[in-house]
Amino acid sequence: MQAADLAVDVLLALGVAAELLCVAGVLVMRTTLDRLHYVAACTTVPAFLILAAVLVREHLTAAGMQAIATVGLLFLLNPGLVIATARAARRVDDPDFEA
Amino acid sequence: MRRPIDGLVALEAVGALATLILLCLSVGLGQPAFFTVPIIAAVTSWIGCLVFARFLGRWT
Repeated sequence: MQAADLAVDVLLALGVAAELLCVAGVLVMRTTLDRLHYVAACTTVPAFLILAAVLVREHLTAAGMQAIATVGLLFLLNPGLVIATARAARRVDDPDFEA
Repeated sequence: MRRPIDGLVALEAVGALATLILLCLSVGLGQPAFFTVPIIAAVTSWIGCLVFARFLGRWT
């Protein structure tokens, strides 16, 4: 096994472990806003670990560029979604809330 | 998780996970035609969850 293959395996395992941690947080936490913290974390560190694994294997080929675009989209779009969900959760809990 | 808003939170997590799984599958299978699938999944999942969030915020 070459060093690059080992790096891909380690990065992928770390990314999957981090994603599992985020999913466990979504399942275990009690309030909606606590769960949202873990949903927001799903598209940060784990996604970039998986992107690093793809880039080590594919370098900057078409597949690597598409992976960069996908993870970049997730990273940039997800915070807006988390904020919209938090506002909806707040409005569900407090119907008089205006923001 | 019994409230609809908690289901939406789970849907967001599943959308991100599904996008990353599709990314890994497209790279692993090596078909160039599959490379756009995770991007489309990311955008459609984001739009769907955003619509649900607006809906739940206004009408529940």
